[in-house]
Amino acid sequence: MKISGSYFLPLPPEQAYQRLQDSQVLAEAMPGCESLDKIGEDEYRMKMKMALASLSGNFDGKVRITEQSPPNSFKLMVEGSGKVGFMKGEGLLKFTPKDAGTEVSYEGDVQVGGTIAAVGQRLIDGTAKMMIKRFFDKVAA
Amino acid sequence: MATTTITKTEKLVGKRIRRREDPRLITGTATYVDDIKMPGMLYAAILRSPHAAAKIRSIDISKAKALKGVHAVFVGEDTKNAGAVPCGASLPGLRVPHHNVLAIDRVYLVGHPVAVVVATDRYIARDGVELIEVDYEVENAVADPEKALAPGAHAVHPQWPDNVAFTFHQEGGDVTKAFAEADVIVKQRIVSQRLIPNSMETRGVVADWHAADRTMNLYTSTQAPHLVRSLVAQILGLEENRFRVVAPEVGGGFGAKIQTYAEEILLAWISMKLQKPVKWIESRRENFLCTIHGRGHVDFYEIAAKRDGTITGIKLKIIQDLGAYFTVLTPAIPTLSVLMMPGLYRTPSISADIVGAFTNCTPTDAYRGAGRPEATHGIERMVDMVAAELKMDPAEIRLKNFVRNEEFPFPTATGLVYDSGDYSAPLKKAMEMAGYDKLRKEQVEARKQGRYMGIGLCAYGEICAFGPSPATPAGGWESATVKIEPSGQVTVLTGISPHGQGEETTFAQIVGDELGVGIDDVLVVHGDTSMVPYGIGTFGSRSTAVGGTALYFALQDLKATIKKFGEMLLESDDVTFAGGQCTCNKSGKSIGVKGIAAAAYRAMKLPPNTGPGLVATHFWEPPNFTFPFGAHLVVTEVNGETGDVSIKRYIAIDDCGNILNPLIVDGQVHGGVAQGIGQALWEQAVYDDNGQLVTGEFMDYTMPRAHMMPWIESGHTITPTPVNPLGVKGVGEAGTIGASPAVVNSVVDALSPLGVRHLDMPLTPEKLWKLISAGRNA
Repeated sequence: MKISGSYFLPLPPEQAYQRLQDSQVLAEAMPGCESLDKIGEDEYRMKMKMALASLSGNFDGKVRITEQSPPNSFKLMVEGSGKVGFMKGEGLLKFTPKDAGTEVSYEGDVQVGGTIAAVGQRLIDGTAKMMIKRFFDKVAA
Repeated sequence: MATTTITKTEKLVGKRIRRREDPRLITGTATYVDDIKMPGMLYAAILRSPHAAAKIRSIDISKAKALKGVHAVFVGEDTKNAGAVPCGASLPGLRVPHHNVLAIDRVYLVGHPVAVVVATDRYIARDGVELIEVDYEVENAVADPEKALAPGAHAVHPQWPDNVAFTFHQEGGDVTKAFAEADVIVKQRIVSQRLIPNSMETRGVVADWHAADRTMNLYTSTQAPHLVRSLVAQILGLEENRFRVVAPEVGGGFGAKIQTYAEEILLAWISMKLQKPVKWIESRRENFLCTIHGRGHVDFYEIAAKRDGTITGIKLKIIQDLGAYFTVLTPAIPTLSVLMMPGLYRTPSISADIVGAFTNCTPTDAYRGAGRPEATHGIERMVDMVAAELKMDPAEIRLKNFVRNEEFPFPTATGLVYDSGDYSAPLKKAMEMAGYDKLRKEQVEARKQGRYMGIGLCAYGEICAFGPSPATPAGGWESATVKIEPSGQVTVLTGISPHGQGEETTFAQIVGDELGVGIDDVLVVHGDTSMVPYGIGTFGSRSTAVGGTALYFALQDLKATIKKFGEMLLESDDVTFAGGQCTCNKSGKSIGVKGIAAAAYRAMKLPPNTGPGLVATHFWEPPNFTFPFGAHLVVTEVNGETGDVSIKRYIAIDDCGNILNPLIVDGQVHGGVAQGIGQALWEQAVYDDNGQLVTGEFMDYTMPRAHMMPWIESGHTITPTPVNPLGVKGVGEAGTIGASPAVVNSVVDALSPLGVRHLDMPLTPEKLWKLISAGRNA
């Protein structure tokens, strides 16, 4: 499933770029994130709790940041699996100066499997958008 | 001893008798598999693949094993020698995947069993499942049969890169000539979408092994207990006579419980391994993924006709979505569609090709109608399209092409011999009940007002009463034993395995009439292989037509013995047995079944060449299938603002031969119609491109519910079959077979002013609304 959108952050691109790679910020901003531990260069181990439709479950996974081109863009890859299935996503984040801040636009692909796909796939679009919005709200805060 | 009593003359057969099964069902006192509890019983839960295609790199079961209450965890390597899921169908060149009960090195569908946890209760077992860690190497999947056949598609099984499981060709007559000489040729691609059977009770198994005497008791929610016994005993190398399969109360099957499933083999294997009784109950989500699916056809039709509407030939190419592996009948189902493709029409020439395609999906197999709904949907849609092309009324083209009454027995171009019928009668009756001509006038008015009103017809035929043994995978006969107990009460042991069809009632009616006993004096026992003679089971609208006939013949044998005892007791060789009494035609003296039973078991004196007791067994081999038929007429109106289809009238006329119990027949028709409307309007199994089942629960898969059903006006014509002495043909699948084309024809008719010629199911409001909106804006 394709997702895309954009969000305005009241920070200059350099700061926005940095903030979106700060593991502490990411851990706090990602909805349901319970821990985010650095395990390598630009690679983190993540535990998160996610709820979708009638399901909720814990996911164990990894976050990786690649194709870095500061302060213009980087690629974020998230994958996790748990009792209710698995999720995999990757997205390209682009940073463009706008007004006194930065417009962060993202474009990506999300794939889910297992029970979570069988019971909640129709709601993924909406849920993903909601989670992304919450994420940026926290990053901006 | 002899007394004179009034002969019982009131017939039970043909009466609207309430089902004797119902009190226990309604009061919640029936015993299903999940109601079975045994001392020391363990519970199994199965870990299933979340991927449609992946290699298994490693499985870590250590955490699950360490969980308190977990007795054992098994993976594919452990069960390697527990055999594979059996397929009973054979076709030339068929490629049969070896489907282990647990995956060994790779998975090829979502829901593929990977490991099993056995624990002291089902909750611990499930917790254990969640502690298993599997490292998968995910591969691409293919979830669409047409895509699977395209060059370069992912191979579901690496050894067969083209994803072709089999091809099949059949032809009859001279189809080339028919098409060369046709005035009109109509072509259409028609999809019969994948459906997910949902019986009220999901599957479930309890396996109980006794090592000391090498006996296995397997309780399973099945339609065919003897078939399960033969197959699982053979797979596990056990002795069939020590292997008991019990189908306790079974809460529906619809074809999805004919199969022998991995869990039946697995649970028996676990019970032997752990020396404990083990239970597994399928969750509803597992049912969506792991019990078979139905339909899954992409059909390419071509039909040749003369200008006067005479159909001369049909060409059909079926792409059957088989899924990733086979259950017991998987590859055979589309061949039934080929047999049924001429419908009720005389069509002298046919040509059919099937391509069976592997996909990374749940296997398809028999689902209410099994191959015949697909074929009926196809021919009935095509006939409407030919009528539209020739500007003929859809009723007229049908009446013109029906096999005529004087042509029975009628050999079809597909090699069947239709037994009997009066095909125009149900259609004419439906049209009369509906006021067809008046409806067409109303439709003209409705169209003037901008309303989308449609009238849909379907004239359907069936292949039922499966069937002659040479034409059925495991034999098609049926068995019955009738015992008159010393007290005079009657016990019937039948090889069929009813699970909602009501044979505890209809069989008691047959016995009541033949032996002249009250219905309450008859007990019908089924579903326990240690009690009943070997039987084939309940599917394909066969139970009454084949099992009831076996019972009928057993009763004739028993009546002969009764008469002998009557002659001895009445000291006469001129005795008639009728109405439960043996009567001496000279003296008028008589003796009832009770008295005869007492004498037969007390055995103070026996008739010549006759042993004590009153028991008879009969195994009956049907000489042919039966071919029930009927017509549905559906009036719909499509809401132009919402795309909603509202069914204004639903008329179902069925000819299933003689009717033993009109209440039960109506119930079968109503349930069948509900499932047919479900396919026409709402139901559809949807997979995404990665082979994930998107419609995995009732939130996303629309099952028909009571409030969504129209009032069904049902009626009958009666053409008794000559195939069996009861004259019954079978009615279990009729409603489903007739309903989907009738509803779709009606909606297509409603939207024909927009230029609509064909629509693929399901006709969801979204689909119709888009079409209407586009039509308005055009």
